[in-house]
Amino acid sequence: MADTLPMRDTARREDAPWLTLKMREAMEAWLFISPTLAGFLIFFGGPLIAVVWYSLTEWNLLTQQATFVGLDNYNDALFRNPDFWHVVRNSVIFAVGLVPLNMALALVLALALSGRFAGVVVFRTVFFAPVVTSAVAWAIVWKFLLQGEAGFINQILALVGIDGPNWLREPNWAMAAVIVTRVIKMVGLNMILYIAALQAIPRDYGAAARLEGASGWQIFRWIVWPLLGPTTLVIMVITTIGSFKVFDHIYQMTGGGPENGTLVLAFYIYQQGFQFFDVGYASALAMIMFVIVMVLTIFQLALRRRDT
Amino acid sequence: MTSLSLSNVKKHFGRVEVIRGVDLSVDRGEFVVFVGPSGCGKSTLLRMISGLEDISSGVLRIGDRIVNEMPPARRGVAMVFQSYALYPHLNVRDNMGFGLKVRKAPADERARRVAEAARTLKLEPLLDRFPRELSGGQRQRVAIGRAIVGNPEVFLFDEPLSNLDAELRVHMRSEIASLHKRLGSTMIYVTHDQIEAMTLADKIVVLRDGLVEQVGTPRELYERPDNLFVAQFIGSPKMNILPIGSVAGALPAHPNRASHVGMRPEDLKLTDPGSGLVSGRVLLSEYTGASSLLHVELPGGEVFLVAYDGQTIDADTALALTIAPDRLHFFDATGRRAT
Amino acid sequence: MTAFLTRRRIRIINQVCWTVALCVAAIPFVFPFLWMVSSGFKSAAEIFGSPSLVPREWQWRNFIDVFNHQPFARQYFNSLYIAVIVTALTLLVSSLAGYALARMRFAGAALIALLLVTALMIPEEVTIIPNFFLMRWAGLVDTHWPLILLPTFGPQGIMATFLMRQYFLALPRELEDAGKMDGLSRLGVWWRIALPMSRPALAAVAIITFLNSWNLFLEPLIFVSSLDKFTLPLALSNFTDPYGTPLWHLQLAATSLAVVPILVVYIIAQRQIIESFALSGVKG
Repeated sequence: MADTLPMRDTARREDAPWLTLKMREAMEAWLFISPTLAGFLIFFGGPLIAVVWYSLTEWNLLTQQATFVGLDNYNDALFRNPDFWHVVRNSVIFAVGLVPLNMALALVLALALSGRFAGVVVFRTVFFAPVVTSAVAWAIVWKFLLQGEAGFINQILALVGIDGPNWLREPNWAMAAVIVTRVIKMVGLNMILYIAALQAIPRDYGAAARLEGASGWQIFRWIVWPLLGPTTLVIMVITTIGSFKVFDHIYQMTGGGPENGTLVLAFYIYQQGFQFFDVGYASALAMIMFVIVMVLTIFQLALRRRDT
Repeated sequence: MTSLSLSNVKKHFGRVEVIRGVDLSVDRGEFVVFVGPSGCGKSTLLRMISGLEDISSGVLRIGDRIVNEMPPARRGVAMVFQSYALYPHLNVRDNMGFGLKVRKAPADERARRVAEAARTLKLEPLLDRFPRELSGGQRQRVAIGRAIVGNPEVFLFDEPLSNLDAELRVHMRSEIASLHKRLGSTMIYVTHDQIEAMTLADKIVVLRDGLVEQVGTPRELYERPDNLFVAQFIGSPKMNILPIGSVAGALPAHPNRASHVGMRPEDLKLTDPGSGLVSGRVLLSEYTGASSLLHVELPGGEVFLVAYDGQTIDADTALALTIAPDRLHFFDATGRRAT
Repeated sequence: MTAFLTRRRIRIINQVCWTVALCVAAIPFVFPFLWMVSSGFKSAAEIFGSPSLVPREWQWRNFIDVFNHQPFARQYFNSLYIAVIVTALTLLVSSLAGYALARMRFAGAALIALLLVTALMIPEEVTIIPNFFLMRWAGLVDTHWPLILLPTFGPQGIMATFLMRQYFLALPRELEDAGKMDGLSRLGVWWRIALPMSRPALAAVAIITFLNSWNLFLEPLIFVSSLDKFTLPLALSNFTDPYGTPLWHLQLAATSLAVVPILVVYIIAQRQIIESFALSGVKG
């Protein structure tokens, strides 16, 4: 059989002992990964090291000179500047308010929407819609709805005889408003994670329990809830970390006010670094945030490992 | 003429050595089957030949070239995979022609070769279908067709029939055999099914733990197994093995170093109690249609298998077994054949 | 009496109750969008007047004024083209790296995976200050480069890398082997076999990356200062009079223009989009 296929091209690279298949594969792998790796080193690895250095320095705005000041910035934050603890307190209140509310609502919605009935897709679409909306747009609209006397919410409340507060001008109400509107914006995400987990539970479990006479509540309490355990953990940690990173929502809705009532950590870093140009102090704050998120993440990984 | 040869080929993953020095020479047009229990390294060895796994040490020649570090596609081999590995996003025609397209063969050449392979395998009506629209047997055929199109020097089959049902397996087995006759190419075939190995092979390579136990024709392996492992691996039901001491008195002349004697179930004959080589009681008789398989318990407690095509024998019947002296297999204390 | 409450009827009543409850719960999710659009059509005078969903007088002029107040068309286009570039770049870079991590054997693979995992957990806020100096040093402040580079190579891009890796790991390996036997290079296997079979993962990465870039706020706020370089989220917060008081009718009209197209696409492709988020949530 006359065969002129290039497959038989014995001339080229008949043997290139200097380039083994193994080396070839490694070389190609490095080429594949190099854009990501380079990006990582330039925009992440480097800046992460730099921020440690910045946090140990004091910057002179006029001369653009950095002076090494040791742990001064951390001392400022932890012991001297009362704002810091106020901000931490706000962040914790925000997280403690947001996480349970978000998770409980997500679970209830998921339980209601994990089945198949007419309209279920419509409801899922509705509850998830704010997730794809920009936080800025969402905050703008709610800020508008929550205006003092002329705001829509207060006009509705007035109809039923309630004199609504000036939501975004009173620190406690502002915090509550920010939390609730943030929950409404993000609950859809946790809802679909819960729905996915619920749909992964074999139907036989519920059927078997029902045959043994378990009620709906018992099935949930003793079968569904334990099986959701890993999902609940993941959602809890993701949501908590997310709550520490919230910036755009608060920037737009309250600007950190009133009276710094909604000034949270991410916002504080922005304020110190980019409004007051206190680079050293802001970097120390960034490091503190890094540690907080790191601890939460390691906590999550440890829990996940224990599970599997 | 040698088509392919391995000399002292080894493979290790980290510190684990999975192929521990294999020597083998395959003639052009030969059908070679690698067989062995799972984990013996037969698939790894095949993938090393294909170039999908690299070779840690040793030399692999295909034709007259050393191909150790040559990329798979340049080696002149084609592979049929266990899962068929048809590209789900391409139809049958494009699946078969893909290799030629990648190698930039002209379109008319490609069309001609695909058509030719399709005719050989009776795939013409399926050319425009997608893999998901094909049955298991059809997919298998397309996978073989894809290999044919490249007109390789060596065909490699990695357990190609293991995903088919029993009936189709027998059918495809015979198709592969006739394909081999028609093409006359060198084929290397991996299987764990010794019937497949026996029926297809010109030459069987029995592997265990990364080492070759024996190389030979099916008949050689069956009639003169080199060692206890091969003796028991080839043949079904498997060979009965007894320590020589338990039957020494009745044995004909045998080599001094022999420590075990093997007897194939199909070589044993029933005889009157009291005479014969061994005697025992029937434990169980499995009727399989053409014959029965007797499980005979010897006085020492060992169970002997006997293929028997006479009348039904009740359990607990006492009987004696005899065998032609030239049907005895002797092995020494290390398990090697002792003749 | 007992006959009235058959099992069937109980089930129907149950279902009606649930549906009503869900409708009530849906109000705060839907209403803001309706009110946003409706208010965008109201005049400055009417906007705080009556709590009516239908404007007394449809003020179409708002949607023209939006473009006169600032270069809104230009800003809209900025958001669009940046999101498209970020999405394309992320798809390319993350699927290459994800493929290497999933399929290729090389020294250092484990270490790189570990490095990238750490990057995954670090919020942008931590590295934003040094990145600002980096960009200023490179002369890229008040350009769109930071808005392209940081999301592509930041946590978003890395999450996409792991999502792709996870998906590649689940693909049948023998298909790629077949590709190699057919003469494809690694790049060829990636492009012609791995990628075509990874459409769901690619779609998920594309959707999430696009939305993320579209909605990005911190980076534009920090890096961009010229009006005609603004992106949408930044532009939306900029509808104020010279004293900083929001011009609500314009702001809400602009917000409607920014949000409604996304919502329309979302409603058309809701299944795909929701699944994408589920996929990334489970993996990330």
